Amino acid sequence: MKFETLMFLLTLFAPILGGLVYGVERIVKARMQSRVGPPLMQPFYDFFKLMDKRPLMVHSLHAVMGIMYFIACWFSLLVLFMGNDLLVAVFFHVIAVLALTIGAFSVRSSYSVIGAMRELMHMISYEPLMVLMVVAFYEVVGSFNLKDILNYQGIPLFEIPVVFIAFVLAIPMMLHKSPFDVAEAHQEIVGGPEIEYSGPFYEALYTGKWIEYIYVFFFVFLFGGSHYWLGALLVVLVFLFVNALDNASARLDFRRMVKFSWFVLIPVSALNLIFLSLWR
Amino acid sequence: MKRHFDIIIVHFKTEGSMEFYVTASIVLPWIAALIIYLAKNDTVTNVLSFLMLPILGYFAWEVYFSNTLPMLIETPKWVGSLITIYDFGLLGYFLYQGMKNRSILVSALAILQLALLVIVVLMIQHSDTADIYVDKLTAFMYMIVAIIGVPIAIFATKYMEFDEKGKHSFVAILIWFLGVMNFAVSVNNIEWFFALFETTTLASFVLIRFRMDKEAVNNAILALWMNQIGGVAILFALLMLIKTSGMYHFTDLLSVDPKMLSLAALGFLSLSALVKGAQMPFHKWLLGAMVAPTPVSAILHSATMVKIAPYLLLRISPIIKGTLLAKLLIITTGFVFVAAAVIALTQDNFKKILAYSTISLLGLMMLAAVVGTPIAITASLILILFHAFAKGFLFVEAGVLEKVFHVKYIKEMRRLIEKAPLTLMFIFFGFLNMTFVPFGTFIGKWLMIEEVSGFLSHGSYILLILYVGAGSAFLSVLYMKVLGISVRKSHGIEKIKLTPLPLRFNFVSVWYYAWLFALTIFIAPFISTQLVPIAGEISGGLVNIHADGLSLIINHSTLYFWQIMGALAILLLIHALPFFVHFKNVDTAMPYNCGEAFPRHIETYNFVCISKYESYIIAFSVALFIMVLVLGGGLL
Repeated sequence: MKFETLMFLLTLFAPILGGLVYGVERIVKARMQSRVGPPLMQPFYDFFKLMDKRPLMVHSLHAVMGIMYFIACWFSLLVLFMGNDLLVAVFFHVIAVLALTIGAFSVRSSYSVIGAMRELMHMISYEPLMVLMVVAFYEVVGSFNLKDILNYQGIPLFEIPVVFIAFVLAIPMMLHKSPFDVAEAHQEIVGGPEIEYSGPFYEALYTGKWIEYIYVFFFVFLFGGSHYWLGALLVVLVFLFVNALDNASARLDFRRMVKFSWFVLIPVSALNLIFLSLWR
Repeated sequence: MKRHFDIIIVHFKTEGSMEFYVTASIVLPWIAALIIYLAKNDTVTNVLSFLMLPILGYFAWEVYFSNTLPMLIETPKWVGSLITIYDFGLLGYFLYQGMKNRSILVSALAILQLALLVIVVLMIQHSDTADIYVDKLTAFMYMIVAIIGVPIAIFATKYMEFDEKGKHSFVAILIWFLGVMNFAVSVNNIEWFFALFETTTLASFVLIRFRMDKEAVNNAILALWMNQIGGVAILFALLMLIKTSGMYHFTDLLSVDPKMLSLAALGFLSLSALVKGAQMPFHKWLLGAMVAPTPVSAILHSATMVKIAPYLLLRISPIIKGTLLAKLLIITTGFVFVAAAVIALTQDNFKKILAYSTISLLGLMMLAAVVGTPIAITASLILILFHAFAKGFLFVEAGVLEKVFHVKYIKEMRRLIEKAPLTLMFIFFGFLNMTFVPFGTFIGKWLMIEEVSGFLSHGSYILLILYVGAGSAFLSVLYMKVLGISVRKSHGIEKIKLTPLPLRFNFVSVWYYAWLFALTIFIAPFISTQLVPIAGEISGGLVNIHADGLSLIINHSTLYFWQIMGALAILLLIHALPFFVHFKNVDTAMPYNCGEAFPRHIETYNFVCISKYESYIIAFSVALFIMVLVLGGGLL
């Protein structure tokens, strides 16, 4: 099968794939807590249940933004898979954040608005790191092109290990997992941006989050270069690690998150980059 | 690096259409301004400012698409003498203003400049190089002045009718300012450039104190002395150039080996650019400009004044490229890019937020200009153009908000979507243009990262990538925050009331909107056919950017047309849907509030934690400034 066709199909089925990942995640998490957990297909059962519910909304703008968030997420995944240029894909992700925050800002609910502000803090934390990571890939591979990275004979992981670690620690910020789940913070602001969505509109938001799983873990996969088994192994390990961390840690203040990103993750990644370019 | 110039010396007196168009572009606004000023008649003002749009646009078009560029135009000798006399008169006026307003700084700087100017006039040698130099960059600036600058004057003709005094003189000054800008970007002689540089200072001084209240006058004095520092820097540069090489024309500087030139002179020239470009710590004057009527901010931020800064750096970028000066300038301007974006988060005045984001993006433009590779220069041009459009647009909308809806602070912008939906849509579009895919500003940033990733050998370049990534993240946060406040709706309101706006306001808004929209759709062919030749001419190298249909190809990376269209479609839906989509069959519910009373006002983060550090940020930028001058200019 041609590369483009494969990637296109992968994008097309990304919501289903993401749903499966989410199902697995719930089981893994449950096992970590010595529970049995829901069945693997639970996210899809939820999907059908939510689609069947009576649609309720606060106002149209808010509901539309939920759908736009889903579309923007899906489109940014398409750009990542088909577009060849990683840097563009990173910037496309901001559009999804825009739809999410505009929607969350638009309702008169303190939880939603606080969640939107925190969502922006999330973006400040991971966005520059993503750019640095993509540039680090460029340093290693010599191209921003996805195909070149997937055909790279060496192993990017061994050349930019610090960037990899920094990115793994930033994944909880991107996927809203503890200790950096400040924007959702269920016990505190009841889900933040999600709170006012219900029924089919919530489903759009929910599916958008599944797509973000694929989006984020695909970057982890890239650290294997052309060694796809290594990439897959990394994805599994990182997946387990992120969930273990999610289970084992308590939520931090959003200031801590921004500080951690700006004073730890970003400087060490930059140092990695500097050493790499000096080494050449 | 030697640059080759196809020098076509054309005598001023001979009949040539090109000279006519160039002269007309420069002189016509001055004449129109004089007529408006003297006539003081509503019809004359309105008609003339409307006429300027097609006329200046046509002249700029003719210059831009003529095949005789670049060209040097010789002027009669008396023009040079006149400009020298004018210089003294101008500085004398500054001195008078300094005395009158009891500002020691203004007077001292005026005296210093007078003294330096006397030395320059005594030392200057006769040069055979022509004093007017028109190349594609100049024509590009003419275009910006005509297409982006003139609509602001049109806007002002209506704006000033809302309980303001002195409409005619105000519009006259605006149009004169456009002429000054056209003149400033076509001079070759640095002494003349100094005169025009100071004339823009004068124009901004007059405009800022236009309302003549105490605050306006104070801020005008602030702008005056800060910009005079730029003038002093140019005079220092001129002195050093004359002393070390005897050359004082841009084309002469560009045609010799850069190693021959005094780095200190180039350092001083860059310093004047940084001052004019309102880079920290000299950013206060641009913030002070907001006390003036809003068209002043619009014109200062978009087409004129601050755009001289990246223009000047683009002029000298081939000779400073790769030097320590360039690297230090990258560190300084990049720092301003991030720092201004961060400080903007703490502001609550809409115009101030826009001003900080201008300061920030000016930093990015200058950064791109000093990197100096062909692609970086293209990025700089893209940023100049699209920033001018977006900022002109946003300030015009700020003016509408101020006059029609009486909104000045972002606190008052809450629920703007119910009061002023159309204006909010325009503001939304302007903000999208400042940061999101696939708009021009994004393309500029993308080009910078793509280009700089190729030569990460120096720490300043890695810092550059960090700057661009961080700065754009902060700016996105800033815009989303402001938009977020204005889209908040009360529960259940579905009907949107459209307040009728004055025709001229709508014309200007739609004008900007249509241009931005069209340029964004055709961004790839536009960049590759219009901006790339300019960048090629400036850098003297091959620009590896071309368009394939509507896709943009840079080196080996591609921005596909389906990406551009997809992003554009999504963003257009996001910013326009609130007005058109109403789900009819969906029940509405109140937001969940955990049983508490509904909050009357919901505040947003005001980032007070950052404003504590503002003085440190400014102190650091002062240190960077000194470093640029001392280390980069080789003063040690």
